[in-house]
Amino acid sequence: MTSKKTLSNSPLKGEETKPQVSPLRGDLVGSVLTAALSGGSDYADVFVEDTRISSMVLQDGKVSQAQQVCLYGAGIRAVKGTETGYAYTMDLSEEALMKAAKSLTPAVSPIPSKGEKKQSPTKTNGGAALSWQFTPSLEGTGEAIQSLPPAQVRQLLLQVEEKARALDASVIKVKAYISQRMQEVQFASSDGTAFHDFRPRTSLSVNIVMERGGQTQMGFASRMLQMGAEFFSETLLNEVVGEAIQQTDFLFSASQIEGGELPVVMAAGSSGILLHEAIGHAFEADFIRTGDSIFTGQLGKQICNPSISIVDDGTLPNDAGMLRFDDEGIPGQRTVLVDKGRLNSFLYDRISARHFGVEPTGNGRRESFRCMPIPRMRSTYMLPGEAKEDDIIRSVKRGIYAQSFTNGQVQIGAGDFTFFMKTGYLIEDGKLTKPLRDLNIIGNGPEALRRISMVGDNLRIDHSASMCGKEGQKVAVSQGLPTVLIDKLIVG
Amino acid sequence: MVNGQSIIYHAEQEILKLPAKLDYKLVLLKNHEDNIILRDNKVEKLLRATSLSLAINLYLDGRDGFFYTNDLRPESVSAFIKEAYETTRLLEPDETRTLADPDRYYKGGGPDLQNFDATLAEIDPQEKIKLLRDTAKEVEGADKRIISMQTRYMDRQHQAHYLISNGFDASEQSGYCTLTSIISVEGEGGQHPMDGWGETRLFFSQMPRQGIAPTALKRTLQKIGQRPAPSGRYRMILESPCAGNFLQPLLNAMNGQALQQKTSFLLGKLGQQVVSPLVNIVDDPLIPGTRGASLFDYDGVATQRRKLFTEGCLMTYFIDTPMGRKLGMAPTTQGIHHLIMEQGTRSKEEVIADSSRAILITDFNGGNCDPVTGNFSYGIEGFLIEQGIITQPVSGMNITGNMLDVWQRLSLIANDADPWETELIPTLAFEDVAFGGC
Repeated sequence: MTSKKTLSNSPLKGEETKPQVSPLRGDLVGSVLTAALSGGSDYADVFVEDTRISSMVLQDGKVSQAQQVCLYGAGIRAVKGTETGYAYTMDLSEEALMKAAKSLTPAVSPIPSKGEKKQSPTKTNGGAALSWQFTPSLEGTGEAIQSLPPAQVRQLLLQVEEKARALDASVIKVKAYISQRMQEVQFASSDGTAFHDFRPRTSLSVNIVMERGGQTQMGFASRMLQMGAEFFSETLLNEVVGEAIQQTDFLFSASQIEGGELPVVMAAGSSGILLHEAIGHAFEADFIRTGDSIFTGQLGKQICNPSISIVDDGTLPNDAGMLRFDDEGIPGQRTVLVDKGRLNSFLYDRISARHFGVEPTGNGRRESFRCMPIPRMRSTYMLPGEAKEDDIIRSVKRGIYAQSFTNGQVQIGAGDFTFFMKTGYLIEDGKLTKPLRDLNIIGNGPEALRRISMVGDNLRIDHSASMCGKEGQKVAVSQGLPTVLIDKLIVG
Repeated sequence: MVNGQSIIYHAEQEILKLPAKLDYKLVLLKNHEDNIILRDNKVEKLLRATSLSLAINLYLDGRDGFFYTNDLRPESVSAFIKEAYETTRLLEPDETRTLADPDRYYKGGGPDLQNFDATLAEIDPQEKIKLLRDTAKEVEGADKRIISMQTRYMDRQHQAHYLISNGFDASEQSGYCTLTSIISVEGEGGQHPMDGWGETRLFFSQMPRQGIAPTALKRTLQKIGQRPAPSGRYRMILESPCAGNFLQPLLNAMNGQALQQKTSFLLGKLGQQVVSPLVNIVDDPLIPGTRGASLFDYDGVATQRRKLFTEGCLMTYFIDTPMGRKLGMAPTTQGIHHLIMEQGTRSKEEVIADSSRAILITDFNGGNCDPVTGNFSYGIEGFLIEQGIITQPVSGMNITGNMLDVWQRLSLIANDADPWETELIPTLAFEDVAFGGC
């Protein structure tokens, strides 16, 4: 976790980010939702967003590039059963919102198939009769909605360059990037739910290129948290720069190995990508509803060793996946996916929860007002076990110790997942020996879970800048894992 | 809604009012999208939207800021530009960061690229839904093992108006539509193999009315029983739709930014033979009726047919104006538009029949390539080929190696590139590639 200590040589004062728009009035919400329901839908919601992103880049020793982005608009959704109509507009006038809401009609009133009668509109208790209270959920965000002024961002970036060059004389290039994002959201739905939230997100990314004896290597490190100006500290800068230098240095001595099936020890922290790819996506309830997921029909069943419990958590303070409310107005919560080896819950949005007759778990998320919410992960991690990491490594005759990762992927139906190990070690006779790099590790979700034979006591949540993509939408997530041993995976 | 055309001139006026003289590039973007998903004969999702946004580059004595907003209320644009100016002022000068030389701008008179279907946004969504229903109907009840079938229709219209302070004022437009079928089936051991097939066209009227869903079903059923083949060295056959993925690291390594940051395995290799002499690739943005066709790039620079690889020699890098100055090289273009690899004469089937021990890769599953060294490891799936015959569907395997080394071992180029893609890469065969499996 990042320390909240501010820079001793440069006290950082944030500047207040003022709430920018409040376009939703209770009566307008009523009219818009009534219009959205008029095609026969049984549920409607409206999501209004004003997001400001500012970023600066250090390259070649200079901070000579900056970016500012403003995303402003509303998405309106009408749902009938599992059918969804969606429209968005960047014009928040009453006329434009009403036009968008009325345009939804064809989606939920498709051409009837032969022999199918066109249904009459469903009566609902939605519409102007309800009132919507947009209670700002600012508790705990007061400090976070201070963003760092550009002049101070520039100073921090210059410090990154200075620190990197001081740590290692073979550094030839430093590229660093600071991004500050503030998303203001207003949401209202036909069941009377409403919220108004401010979601800050700040990140620091550092790329290092080093040259030694004619060889060049590049390493990378980053952090991303839901914080404002208080994100930055001397400790944070030292950590991120230090990690990037360490990784680059490691790559000079590391090599690839011939592929094959081997035991894999996943180091605590970013190895949580295992959970994200191996089970997380396949637990998203839209894939369960359609029957595509390999975990379909497994609810309540013992799927792995009773020493394993896995959660998806929207309540970790400042975590990239933290949500006070999800993008469908469901309060943030912690969902136990696997409880002592038993499949306890999937990740539900409103539509899939209604389909299965359960409560939504607060996993309905969207990239922006341009996108429909779908089930997504938040912070996915395994609860700690009892084994010591040294004992786990000692138990392996020949295998891989996987330390840092760049990306992963999963095939929902087959359950085959991959993740890319950037750095790690060969384990020989219970000891870490040869440094390794650039290995793709493949497994099958349910099978890999069953093959976890040891769980360490050292859970660590990784706060690298981690974005997850699904159906073209990217959302911020995090993941964590204690050190675990998987008896067999394909490494290449 | 604001008047689209007027907002760009409003923004220009606001920039001219700023206390310092700046160069600028303004791009007004208008996009229309329709996105419809049909599942179990029901419209699961329908999204229709038109969006308008403004991208602004400000150049102040070597300081370069990029700004983007879709809040186009005139007062918001005015405030946004003032804020953008204040941010740009804070940057450090970098004399390389300027607009392109106006002599290189597109001057007009180019051909009609025939890549914009003006009717896409006007077509009644019900007509698009009917296309989806007709597509889905082709495999209705065709196989008891089908678990779910999703049919997707998507179209995009893109229009942009460019206004650049050193003498460029032009518009461009393009569009396409895509129809895709994705099917999952009951497999072995509780697995649910899933695959799909899609077709892309520039005009709605060109969209194939049959064959998409049956192809998707055939591809999915072929995947039943996937398992890893033994580790070893095989001939690697890359099927056309995914062969382009294997070229991407080479294209990334040609990027000026990667070269300047010394993070490219093609650094210092211009003019050298870096891949098999069989490789001839051009980028040709000026062929009417093709995807990616365009008369100028994002900097306003006129496009041209450009050789990327000739008989395996690297012929160019992708260098924009700032990178050209940093590297002391003449600028070229920012990247590819419509890439064409010279095809061979044999079909994919003939290449398979000619292979005694090979793995046909139909899709990649994760993996990565180190941009500095070119070392890669990718997850793959496809089929094992023994004595010219497909004997087993495979998955859970990796390929590993070095990009330049493997591209030197390209031995066969087939003739089956899809003319509707932005990258026309046919099926390719490479000798002696390392596969990791069971």
